[in-house]
Parts: sequence; structure tokens; C-alpha cells
Amino acid sequence: MATLNLRGVEKSFGDLEVLVGVDLSVTDQELVAVLGASGSGKSTLLRLIAGFEKPTAGTIELAGNEISSVTKVLVPEKRNIGIVPQDSALFPHLSASQNIGFGLAGWSSKVRAARVTELLEIVELTEFADARPEKLSGGQAQRIALARALAPRPAIILMDEPFSALDAELRTRLRLDVKAILKKEGATAILVTHDQEEALSLADRVAVLRNGQIVQVGSPTEIYNSPVDIGIATFLGDAVLIDGEVKNGKILTSLGFLNPLNKVTEGQTGRVAIRGENFYLLPNPKGDGEVIGQVFFGHDAVVEVVTKGVKIRARSNGPFAPEVGMKVSVWVRGSVNFYPA
Amino acid sequence: MRKPPVVIAVLGVSAALLAVLPIGYLVLRLFEGLDRALVELLRARTLELLGNTGLLVVAVSVSALLLGFSQAWLTTRSNVKFAPVFAVLAALPLAIPSYVMALGYISLFPTFSGFFASWLVLTLATSPYVFLGVTAALVRIDTATEEVARTLGLGRLKVLRRITWPQVRPAATASVLLVALYVLSEFGAIALLRYDTFTRAIYNAYRGSFDRTSAAALALVLLLITLLIIWFERRYRGIYLANTKALGKRVRVDLGSWSWAATAGLTLVAVFSLGIPMVSLLVWSVQGSASLDLPMLLDALWGSVRLAVLSGVVIGVFATAIALWAVRYRTKLGSLVETASWATHAIPAVVVGLALVFFGANITPWIYQTTWMLVIAYLILFLPNALAAISTPIAQVSKDLEDVSQSLGVPANKTLFKVVLPIAFPGIIAGVALVALTVLKELPATLLLRPTSTNTLATRLWGATENIAYSEAAPYALLLVIIAGLPALALNAQARKALSEVRG
Repeated sequence: MATLNLRGVEKSFGDLEVLVGVDLSVTDQELVAVLGASGSGKSTLLRLIAGFEKPTAGTIELAGNEISSVTKVLVPEKRNIGIVPQDSALFPHLSASQNIGFGLAGWSSKVRAARVTELLEIVELTEFADARPEKLSGGQAQRIALARALAPRPAIILMDEPFSALDAELRTRLRLDVKAILKKEGATAILVTHDQEEALSLADRVAVLRNGQIVQVGSPTEIYNSPVDIGIATFLGDAVLIDGEVKNGKILTSLGFLNPLNKVTEGQTGRVAIRGENFYLLPNPKGDGEVIGQVFFGHDAVVEVVTKGVKIRARSNGPFAPEVGMKVSVWVRGSVNFYPA
Repeated sequence: MRKPPVVIAVLGVSAALLAVLPIGYLVLRLFEGLDRALVELLRARTLELLGNTGLLVVAVSVSALLLGFSQAWLTTRSNVKFAPVFAVLAALPLAIPSYVMALGYISLFPTFSGFFASWLVLTLATSPYVFLGVTAALVRIDTATEEVARTLGLGRLKVLRRITWPQVRPAATASVLLVALYVLSEFGAIALLRYDTFTRAIYNAYRGSFDRTSAAALALVLLLITLLIIWFERRYRGIYLANTKALGKRVRVDLGSWSWAATAGLTLVAVFSLGIPMVSLLVWSVQGSASLDLPMLLDALWGSVRLAVLSGVVIGVFATAIALWAVRYRTKLGSLVETASWATHAIPAVVVGLALVFFGANITPWIYQTTWMLVIAYLILFLPNALAAISTPIAQVSKDLEDVSQSLGVPANKTLFKVVLPIAFPGIIAGVALVALTVLKELPATLLLRPTSTNTLATRLWGATENIAYSEAAPYALLLVIIAGLPALALNAQARKALSEVRG
């Protein structure tokens, strides 16, 4: 069952078109990530769903009711939507538990207290119940902000880059926590992010937003393995682009014949996108590749190799990565995506 | 703990003594003649003054809060047209001394007087303080908190009451108490508009009779009320700090069809606070230009500037010494001196003037009725302002620079003069200028203490109004706004900051 439905939603500010014909539906208990570079219109999309902006075209439906159209916009306080802003935006004059209980105005004080306690437990911050927001760390504040949004059991939670203000290590841990909390609550949510790793690791489905348009929607593996165009392919992860031509159902490139993932037509010319992890490097004194650079990350390394006149970047196991100056043979493992010119 | 140079210690201790002694003497004298003072106070007249003063303080505080808050919210948080222009117009009345504003009104409407008149003029004169304080707090609110509250079921008005107001409250409370103290110590405007409060009664009691017990007793009551309000301010000042991080992006509320009403309202306020008084003064100045006594005007101008520069420099030297002592040395005595210098903050000028009259006539007759007596009065009144302005640039000089200087062989005390003071100098000069401009506008203490041969713009203006010669007073008023009010507003750091933040 679709909880949220956007149909042909458009938004312009004056002459500036921010969103163009956006269709998106989110089903019950699903977590959808909207992935886009800055300026792609992600935040505007969330503000439209929350009711802070009015669409210039299209409609938005939540739990079967139309909440936004060109003529009518339901006010935010009547939408039953929870939001988690970028830097948590806790009410500075209220304690953590008062923040969580803020949206439970109509509840009896007993039920309300129980719900606040329950959420404090879920976000594992029970001992901070009476803490003022300025006493909380960035990660704690963000978890309280999530609890506050979840408390009234909204139809959908909107998260706007909720991890971007945190440092890298905390970000990774909090991501997993947030996913677990949302699943435990059975919440439906949209996460807006510019971080492909975040989108891929968290979401049930990813919607890629580019220049105000949703260009691809699918599961994280679909999106990563079968990007519909070169732009998405390179946006989602490092990829080497090599010219090729379809011959006998395969792609002839300077690295030899490669197997296409997608459907191809005989005789087409275009480019293939090969990800770093698809390259396999074998140290070989007679190999025709030469390592010209290496960036070591510990668990893995990116190795730059020139082979048959092409410069490639391969991901290699950190400890076993070939050193600069070594000769190697290069294979391409698995199939690749071909994009006709 | 490091010891400060002797110069600094001497200057600091004498400033603190000068600030505290006369007031202490006033209190002591009253206790000597306690029975007579009580007789003076236990009259229906005292109760009436108390009622009048209290009513005006409360009424102006409430209306200045409403007006200043509305101006701040509309210019920073709504999409009202020409918001930056209205922000400047909201702060601009600070450039007009309240007695000049009162003069503008009363010279146009001679029957304009009493409670309503005083309330209107003082509301217009003090709302800029609320406007500046609340603006600074409003621009620091993360508007995302308001949006979150909307999604949690609050309508616009409830968001204003439950989310916006609590975050602005500390700043608003502080500015309202500032307004209350201002009204309590206001003399010129209230006397011009003939409303009986303590300040006017004290002045009249002093002028009207040879027995000064009555004036002193009333002054003591006023002093007590002032201390009560200051205590209140200390108690309820900013309990928590609002968001102190960098200003985020602000979403402005779309006023829709109310936009024009808001524009009209802001315009109307500007007409009342700036338009009417300034046009009135201009018209009277032009009308009286034929009979203008230019030598007299120049003499007053010279008297004002001479006093302002002299006091500015003297107060600046004292304030710099105290600030250096308190900020760079942090000794116990240093912070005691600093506290003593602050203690006189907000004591009505009428009370300070009267205390000095007593002190001068009885203890230091050799400087009574000299310019130095006036300089001491200004020192008591404006040392806190000077300290506030001068401490900041001194505190901003990095401690590392001092360490580097000493490591290069310059002793600590010499470092102070070779490194700290030169770096802080522009800030100190700005502080001195601000104090000098404030001295230019001072009226009641100047009236009480000036040597008979000394005339200033403010005293000439006052003399003319006592003879109901408004066209004679108008050029003095205009000159005060131009040479004192406008430059002071331009130097006011809080105003500059608030006005630049409205644009953001």
C-alpha cells in the first residue's frame, strides 16, 4: 500500500525551476532515500511534502488524502508528518524528554509519559531525559530529534541530511542505529542525502534526483549495478569509462571483449563503465600494465594502472595491493554496463 | 598572581572611590537627619509620585516591548517590503535624546502634556532598545525549530508563543528592564511634558526651597526603586543561552495580504518617532532663524564640546586602567574595583547630581561649582558605559602576543604599553568617543552642577523651554541630534550588528 504519492510535482521560484515532474511513491514501512547532489532540489522536495512550500504543478497524497495541490495546501500542523532537520533543531528551552513529548499535546499525561519513556529507551538515551539540548553531543541530539519526530506516530518521517553535521565515524554508527529504530517503530520514511554510501547502505529503495528530476528509482543493488546512464554510474561510485563497440553480442574495447549487463544492439558504439572492484590485478613481470600510483586506505587501496594505452583505477585488497612501478596483468571480472553514444 | 603597574592601581582605586563615595555620603547624611526625612516622605505626595512613576514605568515597558518586538519580528522574520529600511528607521530614534523628542511634540502641540504625552514619547524613544535586543535574539533562532513545531501540530500563533518567544525571552526581558531603568531616571522629557514623577519632583524640590532634605529623601526612594529593578534584572537575566552558533538560513514568513498593513504600521511608527519631532524642530528652526543669536549658539557649542572632550578623555583613561586591571591581571582587588565602578550603573542622573551637590558643598568646597565637579558627575554616570566599550578591545588582544613580547625580553608592565594598548587603541578611542557623545546629551546632572558661567547646548535648550521659547530652543535641539545623536548611533556596536543581520 502506498503511503505517500507524488504525481507530477513541480516547483519553481520565479524563473528558477527546482523540481520538474516528480513522480514518487513510498509504501508503508519503507525507507526511501532521495539521492542527489547539492542544488538538485532535494530539500525543496521535502519542504513540499511537509507543507512549507506550495507546488507549482502536481499533487501530493498521504495515506489516501490529497494534502498538496496547486490550489490547496494543507497546513504543516495538520499533516501528520515528522521531520528531522539537518542539525537536529531541538527546542533549546526544553529538556530532551520535553522535546520528545512536544507533539503529544492531545494525549493523556500517562500515555504521553509512557510514550516518551519508550522512545528514550529505543534511542538509548534514558539517562539524558532531563538534559538540556546544549548538553547533548551531535549524535545524541540527532537521536532525540528522531525520537521527537517519531513520538506522535506520524504517517511518514522526513529526514533532511540527518547525518551530515556529524563526524565520519559517528555518522556510520548512527546510520545503523537510525535504520534499526525506524524498523522497530515500523515507520515509513524518506531520507534526503547527497552521500551515495549513506543512501545505498540505509534505504530499501533509492531515488536518484538530478536537476529537479527523478532519473532512476530502484533497490540499492539495482541502482548501483545498473545505472541507467553514465552520469548516475559515475555519481554512485568511482568508474572508469572506456570506448567500445558491440561485436557478436559482446563489447570490444581496448581491454578486450567484455560481457554487457544490459541489452545491446549489434554495431552500436558507446562507452562502458567499469567500477574499480571489477578490475583484477595480477602481479606479472611480463604483464602489459604498469602501476603508476597507489592510494592506501588500510582495508583496501586504489591502484592506478596504465594498460594498453588506458588509465584505470582498480580497487585492490589493501595489504596485497601492487606497489608503484610493478608490472601487472589486468582482467575485468563480471559484466559491465554499456552506454551507447 | 601578577601585580599591575602602580599607575593603573591608583587610577582604578580612585575611580571606584569617586563612583561610590558621593552616593554613600547622600545616604549617610539622610540617616543623620532621619526623623526629618521621614516626615518628608510620609506625605500623600510621596505616594502620588510613587503611583505616577510606577504607572509610567510599567506602561512604557509594556508598550515598548510590544512595539520593539513587532518591529524586530517584522523586519527579520517576515517578508515585509523594505525590511532593511524599516530596521534602520526602528533604530534611528536612538539618535534623538528623549527631551528633544518631547520638545518636538510640545512645540507643535502646546497642550501636549501629562501621562499620555510622556507615555507616547518615552515609548517611541525606548522601543529601539527592545528592537535591537530582540533582533539580535531572533536572528539567532534556528528557524528549523519552528518548522519542526509546525509538523508536531502547532499553528503559527502557537509557534510564536511556545517556540519563538521562549528563545527571545532572555533578550526581551533584559531590554525591557533597560527601558524601565531609562524611564525611572528620565528627567528632561517628563519635565517638559509636565508629568509628576520622582525625577521632576526631586529637581523642583531642590530648585524650589533652601531645605534640601526633601529632595534628598525623594532621591533616596528613587535610588531604592532603581536598585530593586537592577536586582530584578540580575535575577532574571538570561537563564539559558539561546543558540550561539553561526546564523543559519532564515525562512521568512509570507504575510500575504497582511503585508500592506505591516508596511503601513511600520511607516506610521516612523512618522511618530522621527517624522513629527524632526519636522517640528526643522520648522521652528527655520522660523526662528532670523532672530537666532549665533554667538550664544557658538558659545554653547563650545561649552558642550569642551566638556564632552575633557570628560571623554578623563573617563577613558580611568576606564582603560580599570579594564586593564580587571581583564589582564585578574586580581581580587581588580575585580572589586570593577564591580564598584559598575555599582553606579543606572543610578538616575538627578540622584547623582544631587549627591554631588551635597558632597561638594560640604566635603570638597574647593571644587564645588567648577568644571571638575561636572566631570566627576559624568564619570559616575558613564564609567560603566566606558568600561563596557573599552573592555572588549582590551580583552580581544591575544594573550599569546603578551607572551611573545615577554619572551623577546620586554617586561610585563612595559608589554602592556608597547603591545596591548597600541593594539586596543582604536577600540579605546571608539569608546571614548561614545562617552563624549553621551556627555553632550546629558541634561539633569549638568543643570544641577554646572558652574554659572558654563553653558551647553542642552542647558541653553532647557533655558529656552522654561521661557516657552520653542523657536529659540529648536536649533539647539537639531544641533544635538546632528553632532551627538547620529554619531553615537553610528558608533553603537549593537545597533550596527543588528542592522547588518536584518539583511541576512
